[in-house]
Amino acid sequence: MFRTALLRSARQAVRAAPRWQAPIARPVARSSLFQAKQITPSAFQAVRCYSASAGLSKEQVEGRIMDLLKNFDKVTDVSKLNGESHFHNDLGLDSLDTVEVVMAIEEEFSIEIPDKEADAIHSVKQAVDYILAQPDAH
Amino acid sequence: MASFNPTLRHQVIAVYKELLFLGREYPLGYEYYRTRLRKAFASQKDVTDEAQIKKGIERAQFVKKEIEALYYLKRYRALRQRYDKI
Repeated sequence: MFRTALLRSARQAVRAAPRWQAPIARPVARSSLFQAKQITPSAFQAVRCYSASAGLSKEQVEGRIMDLLKNFDKVTDVSKLNGESHFHNDLGLDSLDTVEVVMAIEEEFSIEIPDKEADAIHSVKQAVDYILAQPDAH
Repeated sequence: MASFNPTLRHQVIAVYKELLFLGREYPLGYEYYRTRLRKAFASQKDVTDEAQIKKGIERAQFVKKEIEALYYLKRYRALRQRYDKI
């Protein structure tokens, strides 16, 4: 009996403590946060919302597409591979290979490229530009 | 080949894409499937007659159905093997 009463009182004390502290602590914490935001907004730019775009940089996208093409078995002449390479003229890929490359790009960035737009992608540069224009590319 | 008719070209590419996608689960492996699919499409690259191309697309659609059926059969056999222990 004595033990349960002790425990209960202890629990109540624990529960009550933050409740009493909260009204005092909260405005202080909040105002300091707002001040910090006003003074140094750069510190908060690292925080990103879940709804924000992935924020891929051009180099990142280009690097990933290049890696993907490097591993593609039909690309024999890797030396010709650069940011401006044309799939057909430089890399020697035909239209069927291009479809495969576009599919691989879709998978890499977890997006779906409609047929119309997929048909317009003929070079590394076009692919990079397309990915950069997509807000939901990862 | 399809430079005369862009819609047919789109159709061919779309069906190629669909077939490629279906091939990921192919029992003999994706590589086996991909090379054969490519060969099948590349062998028809000189076809210029529209009716012929349409026929080819229809054949591709038929093959698509067949592959789906193959997957169902594979699943059915796998399930049967597990449940029909004699």
